[in-house]
Amino acid sequence: MLSIDLLLLIGAALILISILLAKLSHNIGIPTMLLFIGVGILAGSEGLGGIYFDDAGLAQSIGIIALVFILFSGGLETNWSESKKVSLPSFFLASIGVLITAVIIGLFVMWLFDTSFLWGLLFGSIISSTDASAVFSILRTGNISLKGKIKPLLELESGSNDPMAVFLTIGTIELLLSPEKTVLSLISLFLLQIGLGGVIGFGGGRLMAYLVNKLNFFYEGIYPIFALSVALLIYSSTAVLGGSGFLAIYIAGVVLGNCQFVHKRSLIRFFDGLAVLSQITMFLTLGLLLFPSVLLDYIGLGFLLSGVLMFIARPLSVLITLIPFKFQIKEKIFASWVGLRGAVPIILATFPLIMGIENSHLIFNLVFFIVLTSALFQGWSINFIAKLLNLAAPLEKKRNLPIEFTSSVKDDTELIEIVVPYNSKVVGQQIVDLNFPEDSRIILVTRDERNIVPSGQTTLEEGDILSMLINIKNIDSIKQIFS
Amino acid sequence: MKICEILTTSRIKVEITSTEKEKVIEELIDLFVDDPDITDIEEVKKSILSREKIMSTGVGKGFAIPHAKSDAVKGIVAAFGKSSHPIEYKALDGEPVNLIFVLVGQQNLVGAHIKLLSRISRMMNKDYFRESLLKAQSPDEVYSIFHEEEKKYFDLT
Repeated sequence: MLSIDLLLLIGAALILISILLAKLSHNIGIPTMLLFIGVGILAGSEGLGGIYFDDAGLAQSIGIIALVFILFSGGLETNWSESKKVSLPSFFLASIGVLITAVIIGLFVMWLFDTSFLWGLLFGSIISSTDASAVFSILRTGNISLKGKIKPLLELESGSNDPMAVFLTIGTIELLLSPEKTVLSLISLFLLQIGLGGVIGFGGGRLMAYLVNKLNFFYEGIYPIFALSVALLIYSSTAVLGGSGFLAIYIAGVVLGNCQFVHKRSLIRFFDGLAVLSQITMFLTLGLLLFPSVLLDYIGLGFLLSGVLMFIARPLSVLITLIPFKFQIKEKIFASWVGLRGAVPIILATFPLIMGIENSHLIFNLVFFIVLTSALFQGWSINFIAKLLNLAAPLEKKRNLPIEFTSSVKDDTELIEIVVPYNSKVVGQQIVDLNFPEDSRIILVTRDERNIVPSGQTTLEEGDILSMLINIKNIDSIKQIFS
Repeated sequence: MKICEILTTSRIKVEITSTEKEKVIEELIDLFVDDPDITDIEEVKKSILSREKIMSTGVGKGFAIPHAKSDAVKGIVAAFGKSSHPIEYKALDGEPVNLIFVLVGQQNLVGAHIKLLSRISRMMNKDYFRESLLKAQSPDEVYSIFHEEEKKYFDLT
């Protein structure tokens, strides 16, 4: 057993190396996930580091914790007003689409290895979901901007399709291990997973927003820790009760991210950083877990299966699932190509390992190979494909706070100065308690000629000058607040 | 920028004659008629009135501070008026006003504009200051009251 000091030294060094490499490679556009896995492989027993690690159980635990943070952070940054237009097709992709992918791969694997359908389906289920962290990081890191509703569609899909893959995997493992179980019992399991996950996730997100606003903590640094523990509570309580914790935590993130609450920005930052750390740790661990020499034995089969997944299973599932929806054909082609696989399949592939399914090492190594090729070929070529299909939009320029502002952003939005009336009821109140309409903001408070950047907890005083972005449509409710 | 620098005695009216909000604003803006820094006085009126339409600048304690940004102005200009009769100004507290400070600034001078607003709103919140303004008999007297008050808080050198 390594001493804790040595363990920390190794861990810190690996994380630092990963971060630095990610920075260096930013311009090449190589998916960071591959880098992190690469560092893990290099540090492993077959690389330069010589660290022997084969604890699939530990890797699985690390992976699950990491996924919780990645999904929560991804949810927080999901813009619901943009996403809700595509929520139905996303939901279809995340459920029926995942099933179609799993079945197609399952049938192919059954034929290829001459196995039972269930074993094939297990394989298909494991690699049936697209990866939230890979899709988020590629669509959001700034190298790419997409036209239309394709970006929210893919983000929402990748954030919400893991529960289906988890369910299918666990379900097929149960059927394999205890053949007396029926498909019917699986359906009730499925409904429980989705139902509980949805309810606890939604309720938890709402409750969290309420509590963050109501609990007046003495110290600002407490807020992220509070949110962190509630997030873990949402995941774990859902999972313990038999629901899908992953679904719950993603939904909670989306709900919370689209509420107004104090310290929102610092909270989002905190979880963003935590998600990055989670990704690095997770992929490093998975890299360590892999013995690359073994992969060499699977090159042929691996490429074959990757090809089937990329060119047959994923496109078919996207095309079939999106039939009822209006998308251009080039958008469907693009969505087919952004079928990035990531950590979830690898983590799911540790389940058969731990549960002692026959030939589980074959599954693990092949799944790992497929994920690597998917990240490499699809991840690296997304920008190129987007341009080819003419779906790439010019990157939006980041703007500074609109202190100088003409009402060109939105026709009914204006930037005006408001003097806080001397005897107004807002005097002495915190901004967060005033319940301004969603689309109206105080962007600057000027008190005795000093500028204060307001937060929800800023207290207004008589004669403060507020620089406000207001939506003219809501002017009556704003007048009401100040009267 | 200081109030004493932008406010001059010719832009001070000790007895506003109009009684209606729009007319009062016009009356005060008409003080700028010979101001070389204003290229289009109608445009200035329009911007003040459209700002009032969004939300009244009557901020309580009998004081109103109609303000706007306009490209028809070079720099920042100010005018002040008071009346012995109450003016129905649709103020946020519903009370009439009798002290009115007009501030119009060039579009891109937002920072200075906000600072002046803050200074005026701070000074006007003082009871003794409003009282002595109301008692003043001439533009010169009003001007020196502003000057004295501004000296208290700010280094005018």
